[in-house]
Amino acid sequence: MTSFRNFIFLSTGLTYLLIFIGGLVRVAGAGMGCPDWPKCFGRWIPPTSIEQIPSHIDPATFNIVLAWIEYCNRLFGAIVGLSITITLFLGLKHYSHLPHIKWPLISAFGLTLFEGWLGSVLIDTVLNPVTITLHLFFALIIVMLLLYVSQEAYYLDNPDAEKQSKYPSNMKALFGLLAFTLLFEVILGTEIRGGLEMIRKENPMVNSQFLIDMLGPFKYAHSILGFFITVLCALLWYRVVKQSLNPSNLMVQTSTGLLLLIMVQIITGEVLVFFDVIPLIQLFHLWIASWILGIISVQYCAWKRSGLIDE
Amino acid sequence: MNKILYIIVPGILFLAFGANWVIQKADRSHDIPIIKEVPDFIFHDQAGRLFSNERLANKITVLDFMFTSCTGPCPLMTSNMTDLYQEFRNVMEVQFVSVTVDPLIDSESKLKEYADFVGVDDDRWQFIRSDLESTKDLKQNGFMLYAGELPQGHAIKFVLIDQDGNIRKYFDGTDEASLAVLRKDITNLVKELRS
Repeated sequence: MTSFRNFIFLSTGLTYLLIFIGGLVRVAGAGMGCPDWPKCFGRWIPPTSIEQIPSHIDPATFNIVLAWIEYCNRLFGAIVGLSITITLFLGLKHYSHLPHIKWPLISAFGLTLFEGWLGSVLIDTVLNPVTITLHLFFALIIVMLLLYVSQEAYYLDNPDAEKQSKYPSNMKALFGLLAFTLLFEVILGTEIRGGLEMIRKENPMVNSQFLIDMLGPFKYAHSILGFFITVLCALLWYRVVKQSLNPSNLMVQTSTGLLLLIMVQIITGEVLVFFDVIPLIQLFHLWIASWILGIISVQYCAWKRSGLIDE
Repeated sequence: MNKILYIIVPGILFLAFGANWVIQKADRSHDIPIIKEVPDFIFHDQAGRLFSNERLANKITVLDFMFTSCTGPCPLMTSNMTDLYQEFRNVMEVQFVSVTVDPLIDSESKLKEYADFVGVDDDRWQFIRSDLESTKDLKQNGFMLYAGELPQGHAIKFVLIDQDGNIRKYFDGTDEASLAVLRKDITNLVKELRS
């Protein structure tokens, strides 16, 4: 049982790291570092010199640094896949009678296989923008499923958690709306990024500020929705911290953490728009968005469990 | 909570430094090493104006060796150079230089005629000439290209030269794949020049 709990926590953490590494591959421009899949330049270990490239692959595509960055991403992806597989095995062994653990786990495992396949489609389509967005979207869904199972596994060992707290009963819509707008906001953000890259490809000489101006309405939609999300998070904080009876530490701290993260997102977002498209900031802007989604999922799970105040 | 922060904060710093290192590595992987400096030379262009190595300063230059009556690989090279000339029309930092290896036949007026024929309508592409000895010397010693039997034995290379007059890379002027890399490299050098 403890081994299951350790593995589900490990899988969740590793998946978050994988989202970070995936974003890193993207901002480093290493997505096509290996032009084939699953091998890299026809080899299980990427070539270290241009002589090792098979004749059917154009040697002009070889860049040893980008190849190794992409290869590390795939290797780490394989480790995460293995960890999720072990978690599924342990989960089914101990908790196959608990549908709220069994089904999210099976879904996470199935989506992980799907993600691997989507990775191969990405290479086949030379980084088609819609596929990139889907690749991220399903990674976010997987990590939310894993977080959900982690939390449920924790509650199995701590059955009294959240039972002393009472939160407003009609918060389901708020959680749902937040999750939906957040996912939509992430997709809008990746569209901005994809748009930037497309314009940059066609006009390699223009600077980033001009690029952002060329994007037009997309960036406003992203900012306006961001403002809406800020309001929703403030409302969530108010309901959980101020309108609840004896809210748990988890709920209070995650609510405050959520507001802090939203502030970080506003600052990093404005830096990207008004200063320069700095790859490292771009990377954290996306990664923090995945944390925010995670927190919403954790809060929903805790809220569902507690005693509710009828309003 | 504080205990978690003690793990999370250093962890994030570690990720940030690591990611920054990787991003810089990836950026630098596009760098093109310096091969050598182009030596001093003074030639004349198709309008009879002086064209010396000083004209390479603050420009990204693509240079080749050709002659106008060549029927071998030159037409393909010229056609590829014309494509590049048209593609980088709006990038004033990029210039093209063709050095004739047949100065006895290729007079200034002949070069001018040839420039008009390939559609050169501004200063971004110069056709330059000198006497045979200086041409041989520049080609063999300056650009390290074979110059045994001019004009026929001329190289099919496109030479990429940076804003400081350094040779950065050689490309096969008749090969599409090689020219695809040249396009990327020109773009990277222009970015470097602008930053």
